[in-house]
Amino acid sequence: MSGVSYFALLRLTLPQIALALGAFLTLTLDLTVLRRRAQSTRFLAGALTACCGCVAAMLLLACASGQQTLFDGMMVANPLTRLIQMALAAFAILAVLLSVSSQFTRHVGEYLSLILFATVAMMFLAGTQNLLLIFISLEFLSLSLYILTGFSKRSRASAEAALKYFLFGGMSAGFLLFGMSLLYGLTGSINLMQIAAALGGPALDPLLLAAIVMVVIGFGFKVAAAPFHLWAPDAYQGAPTPSAAFIASSSKIASFFIFAQVMMLGLAGAAGSAGWQSYSSGWVMVIAIVAAVSMLLGNLAAIAQTSVRRLLAYSAIGHAGYMLLGLAAHTQQSLEALIYYVLTYALAAMGAFGVLGALEAEGVDELKSLGGLSRRAPVLSFCMFVFLLSLAGIPPLAGFFGKFYVFVEAFRAGSGELLWLVLLAIATSAVSLYYYLRVLKQIYVVQPEADAAEAIHTPLLHRAVLCVMAALVVLLGCAPHLLLQWIGQAMR
Amino acid sequence: MAWILRNLWLIPALPTLAAGISALLPQRRRAMSAGLAIGSMSLSLLLALCAFAHTLAEPARQVFNFRWMQFGAEWVSLGWVLDPLTAVMLVMVTFVGLLIFLFSVGYMAHDENFTRFFCFLSLFSGAMLGVVIANSLLLLFMCWEIVGLTSYLLIGFWYQRPSAAAAAKKAFITTRIGDLGLLLGMVWLYGQTGTLLFYDHGAGCMEHGALSLLTAQTTSIGMAVSTAIGLLIFCGAVGKSGQVPLHVWLPDAMEGPTPVSALIHAATMVAAGVFLVARTYPLMSASLPDAASAATTALQVIAWVGAITAVFAALIAVAQNDIKRILAYSTVSQLGYMMLGLGVGGVAVGMFHLITHAFFKALLFLGAGSVIHGCSDEQDIRRMGGLRRWMPVTFATYAAGMLALCGFPLFAGFWSKDEILHAAHGWSISQGPFYLGAFGALLTAFYMTRQVCYVFFGRYRSGAAHTADAQHAHGHDHAAHAASKPHESPAVMTVPLTILAVFAVLLGFAGTPAWPWFASFLGGEPLSLDFRRFAENGILPLMLASSLIVIAGLALGWWLYGRKPVEDADAPDVLERAQPGIFHALQNRLYVDEFYSWTIIRLARWGAVLSDWLDRRVWNGVVQLVAWTVRACGWFDASVDSYVVNAGFDESCRGVSGSGRFFSMLQNGQVQRYLRTVGIALAVLMVLLLWSRRG
Repeated sequence: MSGVSYFALLRLTLPQIALALGAFLTLTLDLTVLRRRAQSTRFLAGALTACCGCVAAMLLLACASGQQTLFDGMMVANPLTRLIQMALAAFAILAVLLSVSSQFTRHVGEYLSLILFATVAMMFLAGTQNLLLIFISLEFLSLSLYILTGFSKRSRASAEAALKYFLFGGMSAGFLLFGMSLLYGLTGSINLMQIAAALGGPALDPLLLAAIVMVVIGFGFKVAAAPFHLWAPDAYQGAPTPSAAFIASSSKIASFFIFAQVMMLGLAGAAGSAGWQSYSSGWVMVIAIVAAVSMLLGNLAAIAQTSVRRLLAYSAIGHAGYMLLGLAAHTQQSLEALIYYVLTYALAAMGAFGVLGALEAEGVDELKSLGGLSRRAPVLSFCMFVFLLSLAGIPPLAGFFGKFYVFVEAFRAGSGELLWLVLLAIATSAVSLYYYLRVLKQIYVVQPEADAAEAIHTPLLHRAVLCVMAALVVLLGCAPHLLLQWIGQAMR
Repeated sequence: MAWILRNLWLIPALPTLAAGISALLPQRRRAMSAGLAIGSMSLSLLLALCAFAHTLAEPARQVFNFRWMQFGAEWVSLGWVLDPLTAVMLVMVTFVGLLIFLFSVGYMAHDENFTRFFCFLSLFSGAMLGVVIANSLLLLFMCWEIVGLTSYLLIGFWYQRPSAAAAAKKAFITTRIGDLGLLLGMVWLYGQTGTLLFYDHGAGCMEHGALSLLTAQTTSIGMAVSTAIGLLIFCGAVGKSGQVPLHVWLPDAMEGPTPVSALIHAATMVAAGVFLVARTYPLMSASLPDAASAATTALQVIAWVGAITAVFAALIAVAQNDIKRILAYSTVSQLGYMMLGLGVGGVAVGMFHLITHAFFKALLFLGAGSVIHGCSDEQDIRRMGGLRRWMPVTFATYAAGMLALCGFPLFAGFWSKDEILHAAHGWSISQGPFYLGAFGALLTAFYMTRQVCYVFFGRYRSGAAHTADAQHAHGHDHAAHAASKPHESPAVMTVPLTILAVFAVLLGFAGTPAWPWFASFLGGEPLSLDFRRFAENGILPLMLASSLIVIAGLALGWWLYGRKPVEDADAPDVLERAQPGIFHALQNRLYVDEFYSWTIIRLARWGAVLSDWLDRRVWNGVVQLVAWTVRACGWFDASVDSYVVNAGFDESCRGVSGSGRFFSMLQNGQVQRYLRTVGIALAVLMVLLLWSRRG
């Protein structure tokens, strides 16, 4: 191995460095200059610096070009990773902006910098093909997210949720590490490409099967797929709303991307198949089972929820099932569709949580308390309308095309052997419309409760961000090729 | 001048744009919406004149096609065509339309929905012009349907009146039956030829390649495919142009405002059916090269349907008392003549009558509108009378229109109708259509004389008692109180009348046998002035005969109604006294509506009741069952999740009061249970994988 090129390393990690600097700057400013200012000033100034960091990272990513690999796949940069990293930075901006008006904490600097640190972790996660760095970044990310979940220190639910998330996450990290170690033991490498090369050949070692299951469990926890989803409803409900929005969107993007990388690059030789009658052993089969369980359990359980956040949590589980369907298809086109899906899903989910965040001050969380919201907060209601219908997959919103492409690509892959899963996905997405419409019915049809009739005031910035997001959802639904073309170019 | 071809789309686009803008205007912006409509129509007229001049200079057909959308491997193309047929129709529609727009400004002046009216009128004009320029059956069909929609909207413009609402519905549904045929024909044509463009440099469906393909194939009943498709397309024309048996909607359509009757239900829209046949004439007339007769089955059907319609509607018109209904049946009858002309003589014969008819029928309707306006919304001709004293301009123009319609020598209708009769006389298949047409001409002269005698001669027969019940939602009921005597209409209404009257008199000279400009323009043949042609082919005797028929009809009408003016509005008609049975049958429109309501509508009702029952009892039950099953699954699943898995945590969540108890709660085992689930999943997945590996 030739000498380490520190310059190349520096150039490759510049965006992460910019982001980390932004995080430190935010933290420092908040603890020194802004210490005695009003909460809103601190949040605004902090958000400004944090956004500057994100924008700098995005600019650096936009300027970079070409393909690079450092340290045996530890650092990878290509158009696709840059696209994902840019999306992560963009979602970090949105998360920061949506948390500006919240009241749950006085530790503004820590909160904002944690969001940025989590984003740094996710950027590393997206830009690597090395099991070791994957694990380290995942842990870095998870630690940030645990803290973000429990950040509302005065709320017991928040603390509970964080603890539960932590315990669950700890165990699944164990599973993941065990799976990775098995892979290392089998192939003698921690580089995904080399693992794939070493695994080549049809014979499947039982140890490899164990590794596959372990890895799927580890990532299944991260993406909240059933039956590893049990933390999600509690965490989504207990966490402060901006944190929940962040967990539901950004971390989904990064986790799904790296999940797909590990499976499709590293375990390319052990795919197997998941046809209805013609299954054969391999990771596709595991993914297909997990996807089916997620779709069924997530969508059906969401019907019975009375809390909007729990409802969104279960719906997130269902969506994880659809995305896993795109992963199970494991073609280039399905990966493209999966990335489109996860990006649009993240946008709509963050929007939905953003609306709930705006209502938090009013104590609105139960489905019942949403009654007549359209008269109390017409703009918020309309944004919610757009986000939920996009999640439900109604054209012409972004979510429709996400589902459409994923289903079509899953159907095409392997000459239709995943047809049973596609049919199940279509059936459950029909079910999902029911519970989304239940929320919308509360908002638009039901009369407001007697003691809650006055208009809800929301800060202008919050409303503006939500409106922009809703407009994006509509735009991507009317012109999906804008994003698809970009993804397609990045993958070629 | 090629820019006019490229920009031909502007002609329909301008009125459509005007419609779009005035749809957004508030109701009180009356002047603006009328200005928009009239302005856009004037521009369209200018462009249409440009197009007309272009085709005069260069009569060859030119097309502009573009790709619209892709499905599968095929592209759907749309486009427009500029040929003499298009140019003539464009000028006619924009010109007549513009005059009727102007007239409407006066006629609708008191209506509160003035803005909406002009919005609909503009939309109609845009769509109609779209029909005219379309070079694709698909584009034509789309515009055709918009035209149908605006017809519906405008017939039901005074929707407060139940009769208007019912008439609108009837018009829409009846024409839809014909449109179904058109749609089927269109789909079939596409299936056979793979294109819906009429002309596409040799690849269109009206060009030689596609036609020889279509004529070579036969359907299961031994008919050429081209004929079958032609007949299906003709179904659309039957519905739109009010041919028997789908004519029932057109007389009822007179419930709409009179300018609408003039524009849509006399001059332009109903002629769209005739235009459609003219446009698809190559398909209708396509036959195998070795076929014995030039007249294909499709053309024979068209000719017979036209001839029967011409007589059938003329008969009914004899016994009607509503001024507009008489004109409506006369329209149906004249449309029959046009179809007859297309069937026996070709495009030029039918289209010439279409153009002349558009002018004089618009004139007659506007004249009727002027009469109605002047008589405080009275429409019953028995309650009018002697109006020529009060409304001299209306009378003079109306008389010109009436003579043109009757086919009085030298008036426009004379030349065009004579051409049809001449072509029918020379038809090789049968002489039946000729005799029907001649009889229809006699009837036409008779009923128009009857109407004019009733309306303009004799004594004014309307009392104050009748004005009260004649007020309807028209909006100028205050005018009814002000003037119990009839009055002449304002200049904004009489000027269009005068202009149209000039055309009704002179337009026929564009297509005399001596100087057949129209036919040569449409056919692209050389033109010359030659008076000897009158003597050829028995034209002159036929002209004399038809003039005699017309004069006989006029004389008969005058003898029965003019000689001794009708004195009492409630006295029975002269014919009613002579032949009460036949008169009542005619007055009741030969019971066609009753027949339909006893057969087809009753059948449809039964079908509706049955479907309703099935829907309520059977399908709904199935849907409910599915819904309940899914809900039950959902509940089951949720209860497993929340009572078996989550219950402990939820319970304790509520009970937590301190962090100590929180930790004890954790030890109670909830998270462990979560983790146990993961463990179980691990085991199950491993077993599955290993098992499937073995198998």
